[in-house]
Amino acid sequence: MSHIRVTGLGKTFPGKPPVTVVKDLDLEVEQGEFLVLLGPSGCGKTTTLRCLAGLESPTEGSITFANRTVFDAARRVDVPPNKRNIGMVFQSYALWPHMTVRRNIGYPLKVRGRKQELSEGWVEKTAALVDCGALLDRYPGQLSGGQQQRVALARGLVARPDLVLFDEPLSNLDARLRDSVRAELHELHRRLRYTAVFVTHDQSEALALGDRLAIMNAGRIEQYDTPQRVFEQPRTEYVAAFIGMANRLPVERGHEGWTCAGAPLVGLPGDGTIDGDRGALRLRSDDLLVLRPNEPAPAGATVLRGSVADAEYGGRHMDVVVVVAGQRLHARVPCGGSDGWARQLVANDAVQVAFMTSDARFYEGSGTAPAVGADPVTPQPVQA
Amino acid sequence: MTATVEQAFPDAGSDGGGRLSGLRTSTRARSTSSRVALGAFVLVLAYLVLVPLFKLQQLAVADDFRGYRVAFGDGRIWETVRTTVYLAVGSLAIAMVLGTGLAFAASRLPVRWRGLRSLPVLPIVVPGIASVTGWIFLLSPRPGYLNAALRNLPWWNHLEQGPVDVYSLPWIILITGFGLTSFVYLFVSSGLSGISSEHVEAAEVAGSSSIGVFFRVILPLLRPALVYGAGIALLLGLGQFAPPLLLGTNTGISVLTTDMYAATSQSPVDYGAAAAIGSPLLVFGLLVVIGQKAFLGDQARFVTHGGKGFQARRRSSPLSVLAIVLYCLVATVLPITGLLLVALSPFWSGTLDPGTFSLDSFRTVFGQSDIVTAILTSLTASLLAVLIVVPIGFVCASVLLRGQRFRILRQVLDYLVAVPLGIPAVVFGAGFLLTYSAPPFILYGTKSVIVLVYVTIMLPFATRMLLTGMTALGSSYIEASRVSGAGLLGTNLRILAPLLRSTAAGAVALIFVLLAQEFGASLLVRSSTTQVMGTVLFDYYTNGAYPTVAAVALIMTAVTAAGVVVALVLGGRNALDKL
Repeated sequence: MSHIRVTGLGKTFPGKPPVTVVKDLDLEVEQGEFLVLLGPSGCGKTTTLRCLAGLESPTEGSITFANRTVFDAARRVDVPPNKRNIGMVFQSYALWPHMTVRRNIGYPLKVRGRKQELSEGWVEKTAALVDCGALLDRYPGQLSGGQQQRVALARGLVARPDLVLFDEPLSNLDARLRDSVRAELHELHRRLRYTAVFVTHDQSEALALGDRLAIMNAGRIEQYDTPQRVFEQPRTEYVAAFIGMANRLPVERGHEGWTCAGAPLVGLPGDGTIDGDRGALRLRSDDLLVLRPNEPAPAGATVLRGSVADAEYGGRHMDVVVVVAGQRLHARVPCGGSDGWARQLVANDAVQVAFMTSDARFYEGSGTAPAVGADPVTPQPVQA
Repeated sequence: MTATVEQAFPDAGSDGGGRLSGLRTSTRARSTSSRVALGAFVLVLAYLVLVPLFKLQQLAVADDFRGYRVAFGDGRIWETVRTTVYLAVGSLAIAMVLGTGLAFAASRLPVRWRGLRSLPVLPIVVPGIASVTGWIFLLSPRPGYLNAALRNLPWWNHLEQGPVDVYSLPWIILITGFGLTSFVYLFVSSGLSGISSEHVEAAEVAGSSSIGVFFRVILPLLRPALVYGAGIALLLGLGQFAPPLLLGTNTGISVLTTDMYAATSQSPVDYGAAAAIGSPLLVFGLLVVIGQKAFLGDQARFVTHGGKGFQARRRSSPLSVLAIVLYCLVATVLPITGLLLVALSPFWSGTLDPGTFSLDSFRTVFGQSDIVTAILTSLTASLLAVLIVVPIGFVCASVLLRGQRFRILRQVLDYLVAVPLGIPAVVFGAGFLLTYSAPPFILYGTKSVIVLVYVTIMLPFATRMLLTGMTALGSSYIEASRVSGAGLLGTNLRILAPLLRSTAAGAVALIFVLLAQEFGASLLVRSSTTQVMGTVLFDYYTNGAYPTVAAVALIMTAVTAAGVVVALVLGGRNALDKL
């Protein structure tokens, strides 16, 4: 029996016309699991989180926490947020400016009347856990963004809630601080094993923190899987695009098998394993090779001819945009040594691009149901 | 991340959720009880606001519309309606021009003169009845000090009286306009501060001249503030009472409010006719309130979080200092000077003899038990009303902002608290007089009826001020408290109340200021034994005891000034802007 169970959740905001933000959503979170809701803005992930918190009343479905129903539309059960035994870390931190750090962190214990924990020093211990032990008598206004973030985290954890909710907590931090707080968050979860639901639109955050990811699109979950499987085997084209497979190549089946931008496609079975005659390949920018016009391609690669639209210097690599039969493809090419030829690429240079079909994901015309997958490989670091 | 994890959470990872598992709360039970409580609350407010208005209409249509027939039977009422419209539109025009101009001047004050920004608000806090008497002392045709001084000028030295006749319609309009200017100023100023200098700079960089920027960028962005300010000023202009009553009655200039008062105070007293006379104001006020609500829609839509607009860095101009100081001198300092001169003199005549100056009139005031009682009544009634209306305003603001689940009750409440803004205090006063002179609540002549009418007319102000404060606070502090385990009451007490302390304190002080100078409603619900400062001043004015009148007016001004200082100290520098 899973710890948190969401069944058939739906949320429609009244208005003209009414807006349905979450549709028939099912979710299960195991005890101690760190679930990340990932998706672009407007996909309903924050609304789902707020429904879990009880800050928003869903219009349909049910939510149970550890076998206790906290929401059930059919039975008209809606436990208010203060009776749900949760903790939450807000995007804006929402530290109360009129209370010291100590009182902010102690608040969840105090309002629940847990005097014993207060006197046992849970506040101080939790503060020390997030490196805020020295800040206890300051006011939030006197803290930096990173410190406020840690205090907010301590406040969310101090009462050891059934569930800790995170609403894009890292998005207000600058890039460097975000990475270090993310690492601390990960370590803290590894030690404490609290159950968490974390909302973000940042895929690197999601991959780093999540035990499982739920990729959301227009109020539904498109894929609910481990970070590795989401990254390596995105189930739908939408997930593939969102997780970094930015390049889309339409392919079709002709008399001599599959072709891609007029060139024969190597490696896709031409027989009956795929039903339709059309589809698209999704590729990461670093799985696309850029070759000089006469350079031989690796064996088994599909080769397309195109011209450079733009090339940006990125330090160790070049970001090259190549136009192939009207399609703009993004390739990330290692610079090589100081004499690497890719450094000299300029607009209108003729080039070849090549890729292995095994690196790509194929989606049929409808954009779902992959028939051919990439080989399982070791997880690659993802560029944010 | 230190090694204290295991000490802090000895059984970290095990199920911590058992303790509340048995607890179940049904939506139905939870929302039914709060719905009933809110329903009762709305019902009480509806009784306060609507029953007096209903009673008025009931009386006006009784006996086959006798009230309407008496009031509208002869053509004289249309003359009154015309005068009312002239007064409202004329004073509105003056107020719009002056108020907008002053707001621009205030936005272009040099840095070290920034403090002058609050000066144009002063006419709101100087009691209306006090400044009108001040103007009478200055500009009365014969004994007015300014008129007497002007008659020394070579081209006017042949005059017996004048040159200004403060008892004429143009001057009534002008003096009313000076008062309304402050309201327009407030709305336009807050509108201006909402325009970030980036908008202006972007237009300048795009090649617009400063005149082009004004007409193409600033004015269109200000339109909501201007429309809103003009609407409020128009309502206030239509409901003006003290200026036409004191300035126009002797010369036969009457407006709807003064006619209404006359019908309740001069024999033959005819409450039905009075109610009928008030109807045009009632209908217009309700139309404006409903139109505005329908136009602006849901308050929650206007909630914006974070991002404070930064102070515009426009080029400063020394002329702006001059404009503001000049307005303050004319609209505030002059009438108070008139009051001071009369209060210090043994009697009011056109000539001044500093040798006879004394504080005798103040001694008279404090020797008259009726005046002292009236001052005390004013203070206690205002204070009581404030202490009642601010918590009510808090509840109203909470429901309006976060009570989305009470669809209908919230809508009703929204209109209910806006109604008193649209309806002149005199009309409310008449309604209260009728409602509370008859069963089930016979309160006529008691302090309670004064407190009740004060609470009612201040409902919009209290709600609006607290709503502004709560809106600025955003929702995340409250949500953070709820998910931390605090209930609604606990959150209100521990989080919202401390964070709103300065807003609430500012509201308390400002509403007190407005009530201590209240005149229109008080004049109708007072009795000969239960008076407040404004009504006792009016009685002494009618009897011609001018130095005493001046002294009472100055005391009223001092009381409200003290209130303003408290408001500024408690509510911060911008407390006045929250009006």
